[in-house]
Amino acid sequence: MTVLSDKWPKMTGHDEFRFLSDMIMTRSSADHTIVSLRDHHAGTTRFANNQVIQNVDARRGMLTVTVAFGGRHGTASTTDFSAGAIQDALARAERIARVSPADPEYLPPPAPCRFPNREAAKSETVAAGPVRRLEYANEAIGQCRMENLMAAGVVSSSGTAVGIAAENGLFGYERRADARFSLTVQAGDATGWSAAAHRSIDHLKVQERTLAAITKAKRGRDACELPAGRYPVILEPAAVAGLWAWLLWSLDAKSYVKGTSPFAGNLGHTIVDERLTLRNIPDHADLLGEGFTHEGLPSTDSVWIDRGVLKQLAYDRYTAKTDGVETIPTLEAPALSVEGPAAHSIQDLIKGVERAILVTNFWYIRPVNPRELILTGMTRDGTFLVEKGEVVSAVKNFRFHESPLQVFRHIDRWTSPMEAVNSETGKMLVPAMALPEFRFSSVTRF
Amino acid sequence: MNTPTWDEFAELALKRIAASGAEYGDIRIQDSTTEHLEGEDRRIASIRDLHDRGFGVRVLYHGAWGFAASSILSLEEVPRVADLAVEIAKSSASVAIEKVRLAAEPVYRDRVVTPYRIDPFSVPLEKKADLLLQTMDTLQRQSGIARSSAGLWARRDKKLFVSSEGSHLEFDLLAGQGECTATALHEGRFASRSFNTPHLRKGYELIEEADFLREASRVAGQAVEKVRAPAVDAGHYDLVLDPEHLSLTIHESCGHPSELDRAIGYEANYAGTSFLTTDKPGNFRYGSPAVNLVADNTESGTLAATGYDDDGVLCQQWDIVRNGIFVGYCTNREVAPKIGESRSRGSNRADGWANIPIVRIANIGLEAGEATRDQLIEDVQRGIYIEGHGSYSIDQRRYNFQFGGDAFWLIENGRRTHMLRDVIYHGITPEFWNSCDGVADRTSRRRYGFITCGKGQPGQSGWMTHAASPARFRRVQVIRGEGSS
Repeated sequence: MTVLSDKWPKMTGHDEFRFLSDMIMTRSSADHTIVSLRDHHAGTTRFANNQVIQNVDARRGMLTVTVAFGGRHGTASTTDFSAGAIQDALARAERIARVSPADPEYLPPPAPCRFPNREAAKSETVAAGPVRRLEYANEAIGQCRMENLMAAGVVSSSGTAVGIAAENGLFGYERRADARFSLTVQAGDATGWSAAAHRSIDHLKVQERTLAAITKAKRGRDACELPAGRYPVILEPAAVAGLWAWLLWSLDAKSYVKGTSPFAGNLGHTIVDERLTLRNIPDHADLLGEGFTHEGLPSTDSVWIDRGVLKQLAYDRYTAKTDGVETIPTLEAPALSVEGPAAHSIQDLIKGVERAILVTNFWYIRPVNPRELILTGMTRDGTFLVEKGEVVSAVKNFRFHESPLQVFRHIDRWTSPMEAVNSETGKMLVPAMALPEFRFSSVTRF
Repeated sequence: MNTPTWDEFAELALKRIAASGAEYGDIRIQDSTTEHLEGEDRRIASIRDLHDRGFGVRVLYHGAWGFAASSILSLEEVPRVADLAVEIAKSSASVAIEKVRLAAEPVYRDRVVTPYRIDPFSVPLEKKADLLLQTMDTLQRQSGIARSSAGLWARRDKKLFVSSEGSHLEFDLLAGQGECTATALHEGRFASRSFNTPHLRKGYELIEEADFLREASRVAGQAVEKVRAPAVDAGHYDLVLDPEHLSLTIHESCGHPSELDRAIGYEANYAGTSFLTTDKPGNFRYGSPAVNLVADNTESGTLAATGYDDDGVLCQQWDIVRNGIFVGYCTNREVAPKIGESRSRGSNRADGWANIPIVRIANIGLEAGEATRDQLIEDVQRGIYIEGHGSYSIDQRRYNFQFGGDAFWLIENGRRTHMLRDVIYHGITPEFWNSCDGVADRTSRRRYGFITCGKGQPGQSGWMTHAASPARFRRVQVIRGEGSS
């Protein structure tokens, strides 16, 4: 079989982006001109009911031009990289900027700097085509078929060329790659789930994760109903990440300054268990670190929560300037760790628990009260009762109402950080955790 | 040499598909323009003009799909992408068990144009920016308002759909929306209140017909009242829900479960399946006899009223729930035959040229009843009137839901009294809809649209409109959306 995606498409290269951005700079009449590139090529093989239901490949190149005359700025973009279309995008951006009201928060492009050179694009991922994706899909489907179970999931791989350039000499170009696998195994009414995301398609661990999802689904049969209430819990990494994602997304510095943040007044104070530390580690091989942000700022290693103390907020450039923050930290490669001896595995956490609810994953997490960061959501794809160190039964799924700022105030036991990804969050490294109390507010039908 | 026309590109792709031996193929070429103005805290934070052009080719080979897309529209790229779609379909076919069989549909040659009075792209940006600045100024003039935001959005989609069966459909579709939000601070708490025009397929008259400054003054006052309002006491209340609020309830608890692809497992790994399984049509009591939910992709101005869907199927009207009984699904040409239906309901839509179309919720609306809104309220001893969207979450089979809202008023002895805060209600979908004992008449019917409905892998946004008159629900469990409850 021909594998066209090995040869197609030819993504926008470093020199090509340099040429395009220089062309725009030369023709721009604005005081400031910023050009950004996102040329993305992705393929996804999707399966359900033990067969492929969707198999797609798409490439979209996008150039975005932002120009400013003083504090008046405008942005236009195009997917057409012909000279005429690019000139048109520049003209549209200039037209917008000329009639825009002056923005008191406008800042010129960041000064040029040397961006970290990260190996963000793994060649095996970029080269992976429909045949490789189909192999992985078949592996998951085959294992489920052998067990008389139903598989639904995806295998995807993508490559992206990303660039940023400004008239002041700022220039960054990077290739990034991303591969994903996720699987939901259905055993009658019960489901089990596992997922992975990695720069390298070779690291998706499809066989191992398929077995994990199968085990969950088989254990999930004959779920009993427990009443809503407060329970000790063991949260697997995806469930921990689901709660922490909302904490991370709420760190906006402008909201903090304006008093509309759940962290108001807490910078420099203890906000979670004093053994917890959150860092950004863009060089970590299992995280999705990048060289620079869409604003043209370098991505660097940084500490956000140090032994429970909030050390950083997520700054836009204007708020950083008014707050006197010189280096703006990034948070695209978060890693949460706990100081002290860790349990060897999730199984070890289970063994050490008298009674708890084991949660594989949360779903549809949404804020209920932003001031206190109260969240709601449902358990999904594997919720179990643990008694005397063993999983004794599957339980029907719960809705929860909790704040990560409350539930992570004290953690009982934990593992070392593990890879965590789910359908609603980016990738993180987080431990699985045993927590003393978690509020499940209602029960669903399955 | 002249640039080839879209028809010539389409012909090129279909020739390659025909030569491959595939039984079906189509191409969608699309050019979308989106204009987005965003204001924040009395400043125009951004004005963006986004052009997104490309094409997607879909091929059915020996009962299996392949899809490929590209943003390069050229004589070299179109055949290359068509060939790739064929290769991918062949790859899928090599492992297919159950062959895809498409429901029959007549061949159409048509052109669909959104009717509008004022082209939003012809309205000067200065005028739009000025409206947003005035709106935010009005919001922040109210004492107690700490933050403001306002936005305008418009999009035009020019699209060509050509299929190997002979359908040739041209589209020139328009949509728009505007909104503003005030956030009030009081004793360390904060609360927001919003005004949204619906997302509709209309021109800029949609914005001009809405009195933004009057609405800004109203929502700013209500934001201040809301942040100072007493928190709700948990318990059972009768709820009267306004159309904007109901649009989300309908979307989550009726729209998604009525998508047939979910009911048969296609979304099991992401958006979830559905409690409305294929044994239920005609015999499952979804709601009380007062509940009639009608899908209508033909109503002018609504988001899913595009003339034809991305299968080339003519838009239709049909029942989802009739007199409380679940009777029909949203389908496409692929899944309709799986439940023995000979024709698709025309609910197959893609998020632009780069995505393969999937089953999408239709414009599902709650049919009007006979009472007035005030009559619904008059018959409530202890209840809550809820407006707008707030927090929402629902399990992956669409049973256990929770909704907040944007504004809440206590109803006592048949009268709306004062505002409440931190109101959250939750329940189980069929129990909730069975507690509905009244829907207001058509005079208070309103339509609200969604443009960010997430589904599919890779994720896609879907567009649809949900219309409703206010409706009453008895003895719904309400909890307090804060830590102390």
